Amino acid sequence: MDHRNNKMGWLFTSPYLLYSLIFFFGPLIWSFFLSVTDWNLIAPTFNLVGIENFANALKSPSVHSAFWVTYKFMIIFVPIVTVLATAVAVLVHGLPRFKSLFLIGFFLPYLSSGVVSSLIAKGLLSYTSPMNVFLRKMGLDIDWLGTPLSALGIVGLILAWKFTGYYALILTSGLESIDKEVYEAAAIDGVTDRQRFWRITLPLLYPSLYTTLILAFGVTFGIFTEVYQLTGGGPNNATNTWQMEIFKQAFTNLQAGYASAVALLASVATFISIFIIRKFLEIWGKRNGWV
Amino acid sequence: MVGSNRNRGIRRTVRYALAMILLLVMVYPYLYMVLNSFADWAHIDKQLLPTKYSLKSYEWLFTGGETGIPRPWLHAFLNSVMVSLASTVLMMIFGVMVAYALSKLNFFGRNAINNFVLFHMFFPAIILLIPTFLIIQRVGLYDSYLGLILPKAVSLWAIFMYTNFFKAVPTVFIEAARLDGASDLKIMYKIMLPMSKSITTVIFLFLLMERWTELLWDMIIVKSDRMLTLNVLISQMFGPYGSYPGPLYAASALLTLPIIIMFIIFGKKFQEGMQFSLK
Repeated sequence: MDHRNNKMGWLFTSPYLLYSLIFFFGPLIWSFFLSVTDWNLIAPTFNLVGIENFANALKSPSVHSAFWVTYKFMIIFVPIVTVLATAVAVLVHGLPRFKSLFLIGFFLPYLSSGVVSSLIAKGLLSYTSPMNVFLRKMGLDIDWLGTPLSALGIVGLILAWKFTGYYALILTSGLESIDKEVYEAAAIDGVTDRQRFWRITLPLLYPSLYTTLILAFGVTFGIFTEVYQLTGGGPNNATNTWQMEIFKQAFTNLQAGYASAVALLASVATFISIFIIRKFLEIWGKRNGWV
Repeated sequence: MVGSNRNRGIRRTVRYALAMILLLVMVYPYLYMVLNSFADWAHIDKQLLPTKYSLKSYEWLFTGGETGIPRPWLHAFLNSVMVSLASTVLMMIFGVMVAYALSKLNFFGRNAINNFVLFHMFFPAIILLIPTFLIIQRVGLYDSYLGLILPKAVSLWAIFMYTNFFKAVPTVFIEAARLDGASDLKIMYKIMLPMSKSITTVIFLFLLMERWTELLWDMIIVKSDRMLTLNVLISQMFGPYGSYPGPLYAASALLTLPIIIMFIIFGKKFQEGMQFSLK
């Protein structure tokens, strides 16, 4: 029954093989090469500079900010989106009817373009907006995008708005897979609502929660559009993400060699961070006996 | 007994009310965008819900208003449609093809390719941005449709999803079809695809949405006005139209509503597919 068919196998996978050759291996090798040159994207010539780009990047304040900004966004975005998504999932899951209708409604923000959500945020935060008029009456005049902490918060909130419904969908299907008998048994034992959530729902939800947490952490390493649109990485590099930094160095300052070095550093930081986060989440789950 | 029934009734009502309020908060930004696109210009960004309306913002899109130079909004919209559809269709076709081979064909190197797809999927793509740009530039595709489409013609996620799905399709079907003399192409088209309708809806919508809202790549690879996608054009007009937010809201509605309408049309199928893909 098990017949080998090398020709067909390679033929059908050839689009991917070709693609990875041109758009993965090629760029990867080129990127390593660029990172040791001083090439500026337009000059006909370049010099090999060894590790100079890396040394400069490690000393650069804007690279330092890119490194830290990622974790600042994590601290803001991940808890907000996780709590909101869990709340939505638990709330919708408990509805006897119209469950899918609500889930689809909550999912809609995920379809937004970062450009559009940034425009809306800018409008809601404009000087003449009802919120700011009200705050000024209370004696508060806040330059939302010009203040480091609130600029971080705004971008974090836009992202949380976008991803809440998507993660809620994942969590709802996790809730659906929990056996109803567990709840019935708990009800007989006279468990309170709070105990029920913390002792039963959350542990049994952990596999889905793990998925959404990994996705959410991943999002923070790829933030670009909202920051590009709203702050340009400012004020004073307070929202300067890796992508923003690499984009600026490569396509505004035209430092292709240097930007490639920064991109390599960004990848290493991303890789190690994700690895540590995964391990941490797994150990956390195991220690609580959830896995 | 009556008391507990009423209690449950109250709790249920509270639940619905909470869910409704939360949902309203979540969709409010969209509502704000659409209403402001129709708002009288003196009312834009001044009220939670504008009270006076006009079509000036949409008119401005096509006439350029006081600037006198209309920006190519409609053309950008068509570019977006073309590029997104072409990209997405290619990602789907290649996804099905590669996944079929990786799940149902037995050939030398299959496991290696399978593992590599996973590695590739989780690889930080940011390293590849600059050299990919340079490759496209060197082969003369800078500022062209192919430059927008080709680097986004294969989706690792689509391959991964289809591979997992196809693995669950019993091999018996395929063996039977083979005995009847069906070719692999026919098996893919006649057996695998019809069986995977719901997951295909999910993959298609996710890919289309992602391609439709792409900014970074579409921004660096395009130079001339006639190649701009709508998302990039809105992004570019942020500064110049800073004091005319109306047309930007109108363009944003033009960008957002088609994808939302499409999603609502496919909503039911999408949910079925999501349920499957999350199992």
